[in-house]
Amino acid sequence: MILLTMVARVADGLPLAASVQEDEQSERDLQQYQSQAKQLCRKLDAQSPERCTLEAGDMNFHLLIAQGVCYLSLCEASFPRKMAFAYLEDLSNEFYDQYGKRIPTVTRPYSFIEFDTYIQKVKKSYVDSRARRTLSSVNTELQDIQRIMVGNIEEVLQRGEALSAISTKASNLSNMAEKYHKDAKYLNTRSTYAKFAAVAVFFITLIIYVRFWWL
Amino acid sequence: RHLGHYPSLPPGYQNTSAPHATPPIHPAMQAATQPYTQPPGGPGPAQLSPSLAAMSLQSSTPEALRVVNLLQERNLLPPAPVPAPTPCLTQDLQKLNCSPEVFRSTLTSIPQTQSLLNKAKMPLGLLLHPFKDLSQLPVVTSSTIVRCRSCRTYINPFVSFLDQRRWKCNLCYRVNDVPEEFMYNPVSRSYGEPHKRPEVQNATIEFIAPSEYMLRPPQPAVYLFVLDVSHNAVETGYLNVFCQSLLDNINSLPGDSRTKVGFITFDSTIHFYNLQEGLSQPQMLIVSDIEDIFLPTPDSLLVNLNECKELVQDLLKSLPNLFEKTMETQSALGSALQAAFKLLSPTGGRMSVFQTQLPNLGVGALQSREDPNQRASAKDIQHLAPATDFYKKLALDCSSQQVAVDLFLLSAQYCDLASLGCISRYSAGSVYYYPSYHHQHNPAQVERFQKDLKRYLTRKIGFEAVMRIRCTKGLSIHTFHGNFFVRSTDLLSLPNVNPDAGFAVQMSIEENLDDMQVVSFQAALLYTSSKGERRIRVHTLCLPVVNSLSDIFAGADVQAITGLLACMAVDRSVTASLSDARDAMTNAAIDSLMSYRQSVLTIQQPGLLVPACLRLFPLYILALLKQKAFRTGTSTRLDDRVFAMLQLKYQPLAYAMLMIHPALYRVDDLTDEGALNINERTIPQPRLLQLSVEKLSREGAFLMDAGTVMYLWIGRNCHSNFLTQVLGVPNYAAVTATFPYVDYLLPELDTAESQRTRAFIGWLRDQRPFFPSLHIIRDESQLKASFMQNMIEDRTESALSYYEFLLHLQQQISK
Repeated sequence: MILLTMVARVADGLPLAASVQEDEQSERDLQQYQSQAKQLCRKLDAQSPERCTLEAGDMNFHLLIAQGVCYLSLCEASFPRKMAFAYLEDLSNEFYDQYGKRIPTVTRPYSFIEFDTYIQKVKKSYVDSRARRTLSSVNTELQDIQRIMVGNIEEVLQRGEALSAISTKASNLSNMAEKYHKDAKYLNTRSTYAKFAAVAVFFITLIIYVRFWWL
Repeated sequence: RHLGHYPSLPPGYQNTSAPHATPPIHPAMQAATQPYTQPPGGPGPAQLSPSLAAMSLQSSTPEALRVVNLLQERNLLPPAPVPAPTPCLTQDLQKLNCSPEVFRSTLTSIPQTQSLLNKAKMPLGLLLHPFKDLSQLPVVTSSTIVRCRSCRTYINPFVSFLDQRRWKCNLCYRVNDVPEEFMYNPVSRSYGEPHKRPEVQNATIEFIAPSEYMLRPPQPAVYLFVLDVSHNAVETGYLNVFCQSLLDNINSLPGDSRTKVGFITFDSTIHFYNLQEGLSQPQMLIVSDIEDIFLPTPDSLLVNLNECKELVQDLLKSLPNLFEKTMETQSALGSALQAAFKLLSPTGGRMSVFQTQLPNLGVGALQSREDPNQRASAKDIQHLAPATDFYKKLALDCSSQQVAVDLFLLSAQYCDLASLGCISRYSAGSVYYYPSYHHQHNPAQVERFQKDLKRYLTRKIGFEAVMRIRCTKGLSIHTFHGNFFVRSTDLLSLPNVNPDAGFAVQMSIEENLDDMQVVSFQAALLYTSSKGERRIRVHTLCLPVVNSLSDIFAGADVQAITGLLACMAVDRSVTASLSDARDAMTNAAIDSLMSYRQSVLTIQQPGLLVPACLRLFPLYILALLKQKAFRTGTSTRLDDRVFAMLQLKYQPLAYAMLMIHPALYRVDDLTDEGALNINERTIPQPRLLQLSVEKLSREGAFLMDAGTVMYLWIGRNCHSNFLTQVLGVPNYAAVTATFPYVDYLLPELDTAESQRTRAFIGWLRDQRPFFPSLHIIRDESQLKASFMQNMIEDRTESALSYYEFLLHLQQQISK
């Protein structure tokens, strides 16, 4: 289920289009998610990861950035991530086709609110389970979901961290790991060398001993 | 018939006739330093002997305070409609001030203290028409909207700039910084002149709101029509008119490519229409479980208008025939409203409900409460309050989901408008009422319904709106009138706002306004346009503060006072009783005139003395007492009365005034003298006449403009010229034959007289957004009674004549 979709400009977080699916039970929570989505858009910058998923309780925010525009959707956690990103890709292609040239110039929030009509149509095709099966087979190879960053929405919003911080942290982590890996390798080689050296010294001593004492 | 001449004057006043309007000497004038000047205007002074003229130090008194003795002066009406008084401000400020059509105060000079206001005995309040269609409206787009940091007032023409970088709020007096962006003026493309920005040059301005002003993405325009299709409804034949009207205007519904529409019809069951794209024809879904209503297919009942236009058109074409043979007489309005609310609550929008009978099934069923024998009773009128709170509760639910309900009531029988009206009142909708609507028997109502629908469907609309009215520290707003829900102390929640809605508020002075020269009021309306833009319309009004009673009286705006008193009287008749409300209105006139006599006039003269600006006050009060809403003794249907009350509360002042005091013109001798010229059409301007039979003559033809309805009364001996040239009939007898019962259209003849008359009537109609129907009245017409009931100055069996009313006031005042 896709509950909320938002399109915003990355440069200043200006919302460009949105679509809200309200139903009776989730209505109150949705207000909160909407403001989270808005805050999230404001925290974006050029360093933000192109794709990422943020967990927010039993919901997931999926984010896709393309051509300076951020496409964000709020889905239930059970909604397959692959599908969510295929959906966002779909939106980004159509949105860029329709409004691409005007994106940097607009100043009014929700200038392209009429995109809502398209969003709703696409959403239907992704949410409808029958259509989903055919779609998913087409899109399997498109998505390499392992590479998508996963974080927690609370951490991003409440600690006031920029979204890019996660990616920095993550890349730091991988750098560190690499360094550790190198260090470990180096140490390994050293210890191997040391072993070899010890064995060599022993043999040499043995040879010398045999040669001079026994002969 | 008694021709409305004044009864012979009481002996004491008969001999005072010599100088017609002797200007009594005003206290303020005695200190004046420039005597001997000829007074600028006013009747009478020319006849005064020089010595008298010398005594009259009138020139220093404003015209508004010229003393008028109502018992002697008869021709009080100005020749043209009464203009709003101009606040006594310096010209620079007045030039920037908000138009009185949009924002008006009952007192254009605000008293310094509450005790002074109490002494003046006049109500203090504001009348607003915030979403009026404006021909010119500056619109500002900027990323930061400059507002006061403590009271959130929008920057306006009446703030003061301390220097280039700082401005002082005119409501709370806090000093604020001018943001960098504001230094640049986009109009003149210059830098460093913040006081020349459009925000500071216009008292009425609109901002495009940044995203901080949105709780959710702007909603699309959503229109849901809820139609009564019971036997009774089909009999009236309104469905044809409605469907045709919607078909004609379907492309001019305000909106963009997201606009959604939906239809629900109901009798004893609820019918939904599936208009999903891809269907070959609309699909009707009937839900007969009205106790626990549910939506059969929630997704496809509200559809995108652009994508499903053909299906919608198909439905509209087939709908009138669909129920032609129905025998179902019951009406489950309550359940239909609940279903409609469920359908609209995810997005918000506008619900238009068409109802033709008393709802008698399921939730919200009502009983007939009217006793026809009590219609003319002079005793208290019962049942002005709602019978059930179902409609109010539902309206509040609607309000919280940004749904407004507009009610069209087309019915011959009692429908309990007092209860039904709540659905619109608290959800900021509007109510339209067409008594005795029938497609054949009542063509005038049909035409009015058509024209009203056209306006209704095509007029501007604002969604998910809120309005806040702020005023300078020391003043406080305590009561609101109009259709809305008060969400917090000063925030009005308006799920929809339309350009024909008026509002009124009452104010009190909490702290003394000692060292202030002026005070300001600001109304800010935040709404989503039908194109999905969030906008803020801001109106700012600036008024002077005075500390003397005479200045307060000089600034009184008699029309605004009447409008506000009418709103207060409606509240009073519902909470207390109608007779209480009537007494309160009479007392309001007595109290303020008494206060004037005691505190402002120094020289006591016999007669009923009033300041010129209040000279119409007793007349308007009498008109209110004889208005449908408040009259007693004359047969009035309860629904008519309640509808009149609703109208008084939510109509903008200009229209409400015509309802209260209709305008009467003589139209058989229109000339081009003094005519207006608009768009190359010459519009004659006849004089306003007093509403008295005395002013009518058998030789003439008279037009009465009562706001929503116009009457053209033809005298028995009317000039044959007028009959042939304007009406196209040879003689008076033929009027009966050519215009049976009532008629509503003047023939388009190619004569100068016909053109003038039609130009004048057309001009009057153009001034208001709704369509007033025209009735041609002869002596034997049935409608003659309603025409004559508007002759306010004459005596009827149950009500005083104007002169008698004045004598009554005078008696009370000098007691």
